[in-house]
Amino acid sequence: MAAGGRLLASFLLLVSCFAQTSYGIVLFSSLQRTLVVTASHKQGVLKAGEDTITVTWGLNQSIPSGTDSGYKTIQFKLCYGPISQLDRAWRKTVDNLDKDRTCQFKMVAIANPHTSANQTFDWLIGLDVPTATYFVRAYAYDSEGISVAYGQNTDAQKTSNLIAIQGITGRHLSIYVSSMCFSAFSVLSLVGFFYLEKRRVRMSQQK
Amino acid sequence: MELQSANEDHSQPPKFALPVDSEHKATEFRLFSVAAPHMRAFHLSWVSFFACFVSTFAAPPLLPVIRDNLNLTATDIGNAGIASVSGAVFARFAMGTACDLFGPRLASASLILITAPAVYFTSIASSPISFLLVRFFSGFSLATFVSTQFWMSSMFSAPVVGTANGVAGGWGNLGGGATQLIMPLVFGLIRVIGAVKFTAWRIAFFIPALFQTLSAIAVLIFGQDLPDGNFRRLQKSGDKHKDKLSLILYHGITNYRGWILALTYGYCFGVELTMDNIIAEYFYDRFNLKLHTAGIIAASFGLANVVSRPAGGAISDLVSKRFGMRGRLWTLFVVQTLGGVFCILLGQVGSLGASIVLMIAFSLFCQAACGLTFGVVPFVSRRSLGVINGMTGGGGNVGAVITQLLFFRGSRYSKERGISLMGVMIICCTLPICLVYFPQWGGMFCGPSSTNTASEQDYYLSEWDSKEKEKGLHEPSLKFADNCTTERGKNVVTTARP
Repeated sequence: MAAGGRLLASFLLLVSCFAQTSYGIVLFSSLQRTLVVTASHKQGVLKAGEDTITVTWGLNQSIPSGTDSGYKTIQFKLCYGPISQLDRAWRKTVDNLDKDRTCQFKMVAIANPHTSANQTFDWLIGLDVPTATYFVRAYAYDSEGISVAYGQNTDAQKTSNLIAIQGITGRHLSIYVSSMCFSAFSVLSLVGFFYLEKRRVRMSQQK
Repeated sequence: MELQSANEDHSQPPKFALPVDSEHKATEFRLFSVAAPHMRAFHLSWVSFFACFVSTFAAPPLLPVIRDNLNLTATDIGNAGIASVSGAVFARFAMGTACDLFGPRLASASLILITAPAVYFTSIASSPISFLLVRFFSGFSLATFVSTQFWMSSMFSAPVVGTANGVAGGWGNLGGGATQLIMPLVFGLIRVIGAVKFTAWRIAFFIPALFQTLSAIAVLIFGQDLPDGNFRRLQKSGDKHKDKLSLILYHGITNYRGWILALTYGYCFGVELTMDNIIAEYFYDRFNLKLHTAGIIAASFGLANVVSRPAGGAISDLVSKRFGMRGRLWTLFVVQTLGGVFCILLGQVGSLGASIVLMIAFSLFCQAACGLTFGVVPFVSRRSLGVINGMTGGGGNVGAVITQLLFFRGSRYSKERGISLMGVMIICCTLPICLVYFPQWGGMFCGPSSTNTASEQDYYLSEWDSKEKEKGLHEPSLKFADNCTTERGKNVVTTARP
């Protein structure tokens, strides 16, 4: 049954949480910034579902070669800028990467990356991206899925090159119309009932 | 001239499916019956109240989606949570008065149908302010609690009134827990059908709104105010006297017991409302759970109502058989204080498992205390039953407003610290129960008044002056006084009225 299934899923989730911690905690401050990431887009506020962000990335040429031999996957994520984290604890930046909630949207994942030359990709902003200010960050993972390095298109204080995105409203004309109609029905049925009651009482008095 | 059926009704005593007392209130509570008018009233009232709870707390489990769509801050969310319970503060008081004047059926159905548009309009909310407004107006529907308790107190006699109130209130409050399950489920279904997140949550709100509308219509069609009929018809035929609003208000407001119960109810029910508003987000954010997992855990808080509040009411009735009103008061004090202790502990622990266990323990005691409170409320006043119900019910919401304002708004306290502080406040605000004293039955620390003038009749008839007594308006209170001598407890011999 659904309830039993959910209970099992919750229990497994609990167990997997414990399994995660046994691998050790990865801190963001321990990661090396070896990737260079730049993001370009059209002028002004970008619209979710319509506009694209063009990301150009590569390895920082000043680091010794061979550092990137362990990078098995590079995951690009859209992360909240500081102003969009204000008074919103669910987007908080925490050093422990397991608990960090800064980067909530996955953009593109590149497996077995060739870092010899700069590469570019376009990413269409998803419909579930809300109105906020963002920056782009790339995490490099080793073969065990543990983060080893990162890169981002902004500075360490996250003040430059921030991207402003306007999310979809989610409202459609059909929703407007339905809510108006049902509301009118509720109020009118009350009025209609009062009228019927009054008539019924008046008629029983006349008998 | 042939006499019509109206006269025939008066000559024959009406037959009821359940055993009744002299006021035609049922002396037994049969859960699985839908017999008119008693059990039918019970089922109509708890279902419509359940629907209101589902609507009022439909937003919290979906907040992780709504807060992104409407760009809400923690302060906005806190304000909306406070707004959702503050509307009902005044509405509950007004509902109590409306029940005394118009009857619970009309009063509750009118409120539910008038607030249904607010729930429909939640689906087109566009900003923090519009979100706050729809939550504010949806919250007014929680005033149906008062009509539920009033209706049960009108349909069920003293030995079972605690149980009837407890089950109706508890199963209605269940809505606060059920909605934490229902809304993520409906949201998930709509997503599967193909809508995007920010549209799916909007469509999901039509479900509680429709449920609310339909339940109110059912109350209007199938419900009945009193065992003998509806208010309006009884008032016109002269069987029920239409009382004066100012006097009803006066006798309610001047009864200090109503104020004490309002305060203590704020720290069992008010705390329950606060938890309904914060618990899903608490588990989602603190333990990094998925939306519907957090919803399931949060739901178990409100779902405990299916047994805990009715148990509170039943325990109140059980204890009163042996110890009378004093037993009811003592049990209420102990259970509510224990609830406060569990609340403090809940804020202190850091593991998911311990949090769930403590939360369930807390919910059982907190909700049982709600049921126990309404084992006492029906006896505070007879003439102003609705006003006392309204004051206590309104006090519950005031407790929710104050608690959320102090501890759960913005980023001042972490949620876990807020929860512990709330537990401390529960314990402090439960102490005033020690001050409740009935001359005919006693209080927590004092026995009944030793003079011969302290009797149930004296207490309830003091609400009527001599002119009204001459007109015989006090007759219903007299019947009630005779029917509640059971509140003296087992060892007291009830002497027959000369």
